[in-house]
Amino acid sequence: MSTEMHHKHGLGEAYKRKEDARFIRGEGNYVDDVQLPGMLYGDIVRSPYAHALIKNIDISGALQIPGVLAVITGKDLDAAGLAWMPTLSGDTEAVLALDRVHFQMQEVAFVVATSRYAAADGAAAVDVDYEPLPVVVDPHKALDPDAPLLRPDKKEKQPTNQIYHWETGDRTATDDAFAEASTNGVVIKQDMYIPRIHPAPIETCGCVADYHRATGKLTVWLTSQAPHAHRTLFAIVAGLPEHRIRVISPDVGGGFGNKVPIYPGYVCAVVASLKTGKPVKWIEDRSENLGSTGFARDYHIHAEIAADKEGTVKALRVHTLADHGAFDAAAQPTKFPAGLFHICTGSYDFKHAFVDVDAVHTNKAPGGIAYRCSFRVTEASYLIERMMDTLAHDLGKDPAQLRIQNFIQPEAFPYRSALDWTYDSGNYEAALQLAMKNVDYEGLRREQAEKRARGELMGIGISSFTEIVGAGPGKHFDIAGIQMFDSCEIRVHPTGKALARIGVQTQGQGHETTFAQIIAAELGMSPDDIDVEHGDTDTAPYGLGTYASRSTPVAGAATALAARKVRDKAKKIAAYLLEVGEEDLEWEPGRFYVKGAPAKGKTIQELAFAAYTNCPPYLEPGLEAVNYYDPPNLTYPFGSYICVVDIDRGTGEVHIRRFMAVDDCGTVINPMVVEGQVHGGLTQGLAPAMYEELSYDEDGNIRGGNFQDYLIPTAMETPNWEVDRTITPSPHHPIGAKGIGESPTVGAPQAIANAVIDALAHVGVRHIDIPITPWKVWNILAEKGLLAD
Amino acid sequence: MEFSGTQTIDAPIKHVWSYLLNVHNVAACAPGFQSLEELEPEHWKAVISVGVGPVKAKFTLDVTRPEMQEPERMVVKGRGKAPGSAVELSGTMHLSALDADHTRMDWHAHVVVSGTIASVGARLMNSTAEKMTAQFFDCLKTNLQGTTHSRSASD
Repeated sequence: MSTEMHHKHGLGEAYKRKEDARFIRGEGNYVDDVQLPGMLYGDIVRSPYAHALIKNIDISGALQIPGVLAVITGKDLDAAGLAWMPTLSGDTEAVLALDRVHFQMQEVAFVVATSRYAAADGAAAVDVDYEPLPVVVDPHKALDPDAPLLRPDKKEKQPTNQIYHWETGDRTATDDAFAEASTNGVVIKQDMYIPRIHPAPIETCGCVADYHRATGKLTVWLTSQAPHAHRTLFAIVAGLPEHRIRVISPDVGGGFGNKVPIYPGYVCAVVASLKTGKPVKWIEDRSENLGSTGFARDYHIHAEIAADKEGTVKALRVHTLADHGAFDAAAQPTKFPAGLFHICTGSYDFKHAFVDVDAVHTNKAPGGIAYRCSFRVTEASYLIERMMDTLAHDLGKDPAQLRIQNFIQPEAFPYRSALDWTYDSGNYEAALQLAMKNVDYEGLRREQAEKRARGELMGIGISSFTEIVGAGPGKHFDIAGIQMFDSCEIRVHPTGKALARIGVQTQGQGHETTFAQIIAAELGMSPDDIDVEHGDTDTAPYGLGTYASRSTPVAGAATALAARKVRDKAKKIAAYLLEVGEEDLEWEPGRFYVKGAPAKGKTIQELAFAAYTNCPPYLEPGLEAVNYYDPPNLTYPFGSYICVVDIDRGTGEVHIRRFMAVDDCGTVINPMVVEGQVHGGLTQGLAPAMYEELSYDEDGNIRGGNFQDYLIPTAMETPNWEVDRTITPSPHHPIGAKGIGESPTVGAPQAIANAVIDALAHVGVRHIDIPITPWKVWNILAEKGLLAD
Repeated sequence: MEFSGTQTIDAPIKHVWSYLLNVHNVAACAPGFQSLEELEPEHWKAVISVGVGPVKAKFTLDVTRPEMQEPERMVVKGRGKAPGSAVELSGTMHLSALDADHTRMDWHAHVVVSGTIASVGARLMNSTAEKMTAQFFDCLKTNLQGTTHSRSASD
């Protein structure tokens, strides 16, 4: 692939990822790779109980262990005013428990030692006396009047276990539409549970905190998806001056929302470094990651659709019970406690909708974060796509045709939904028709009918999802009050090479490649000549970080606009050098030339050199620009997925025969990176559909705290993903891009669930909660008399 | 977890009771038993080592006998901890004389296991705990009959 091609084609080219050169050689630099002279190690003492009073903590045994230097307890932190920290949802979370533990694996003490082994031995030797208390694991029971109050620390402002009741939409108009449908149309209802799952990034969370007593500067290498926001939170929580805090998020091995919150281990490592004046490393193990850090989902949903007799939808009504665990550590914008769950009218033209959500505390790990989705979009999309299939089934209609009948039409955009979102652009039928053509949908239905006649079980599932990503606008979206804008700074060096720094941060998404391509396209340079840095708060411009598919929609826009500022300045320099007015110049990628005299021009490299060597006297020297971008609206990627399954009547196993994913993320920057994102995201959509569930027993013991019990799909379980795309640019984004990273995670689970239920619909199966395990299917086959002999 | 069972022991009820009254006899039947130390009358410290699936832990247990009604009812309680794990045990034994030489023991055990051992061993927990409980009472029966028989033989 020649440099000349990049020169012409910054966008839309499968340019190889710049970051892979170090990753495939094993030369990445993750937090646990950081080694500093004199570094100490921390380990956490955690509660075995889901709910108990702490009667006493005896650290004397731990201090006898060779190498153990200190044991920090909640009382020590309390003396420094650091026993509690704010969550991203306005709750306060114990850094180290004081007198009560609220969930199994809760942090109780932090042991500091000269080696990782000594720290672990020290943690085992801390003797904690507990008095067990009644445990609440079922969120429904948390609302019982006689349920124990799980959070007496905040009983003044929250006297029960209910964290919030939140509602949106027009209740009266929705109820009226349901009353009308119950007499003249159809009303369908379905309960569904989207289980608690965990992002389980392959790199667990951790940090190295390094406080220099002489300079007063604290440097924290942190597994962070939002380093700037974390720096500000450290300043607020620890009371340190923000200019003396440097957060470095180096290579991060997967985030998926898990690395958005601040965890007690980070705070303890910082305190330990402040106390010892030495660098302190804390890296959690797999069970700590699964058992104590941000989980996702855990929504108990009751949904209803009102439609006319032909299946044209009228109104949607949804009630949800959300289990947030012991502390409300959901990662949500302040204004939307249930995130963007009210995107649940999906791709369909509902005239009325009403949604309410009750959130409660239980004795489980705190959360819930947005696992590879934009603040509860996965939950919303799952419910509406399951409901559309249920409606089709109840009316005896084809689920594809029912969707086409109800899609928001292309000419209706910008489309204002019943729950007050303004969709930017879309062409839903085009995506579904492409997916149907690619799999020969009619042929599959014929095959299904033939197989059914022979007693074989085959199902076809559709998901025509719409996402809502790219938060801000800042007036509606924030982290702990900080508005969700994002940023890019570009420095073009005298020799025509460029360095760009961005406010977002990559955990594997390929920012170093795609953001270089955005600049390459705007300036007509090769992406080879542009390096992208991120994750160091001392050098990168302030930004809110990477999650909710916001990098390309927000920081990508900032990057394009910063590049345009560079180009505007280059134009002034070109006019000076070519002795013409700016209005006499034409731009072609990489070069300004004089209108009517194309041979007379200056390349961007020549203009960069002139900016430092022969700058017009009326301009500041140099060629740099920065842009902070607050988007006017979110972006709305969409797609249609079709899944084909065969069910083994002997074992209940579901075999995914085909999975066709048609995505539309607007303008595509790098199709190879997009395809990679889709493959990874589909696999993380397969995971909750068939394998993953973070369940608890009645005593609050976690039953998925390791990869033996918590099943993440590997290459063995993953089917062959087929991908295709339509392109409907966002009208408000500078390059029309919408974001892709989360579409497949959002869109896939319900395609798989719909396929399995479609295979069993003819015997009266209406719904199966995910994960759809062989055991669940086998029991249904047994109940329906379908087991093979 | 709740477990229960019934044993018929070929020994007179008074003999069964006096055997059970000696806490060392009872402790010796605990699977993984390592040591027993009397802290004060009716209060002991026991150490047992337990494995569930891939996890092994050494529990230090605080043992008491809160209820005793000679010769028919005895309740033993234990609360123990191991690094990252905890256990609560409560065992009730109800004895009734079937005839002069045979005693029926109805037992009930309430077991709460918490922490790493419960979490990592979750899928094996119920069956392991049930097996260990049954082993314990089987052992008691065997030892009881053994002492009876050996005494009979020596008489």
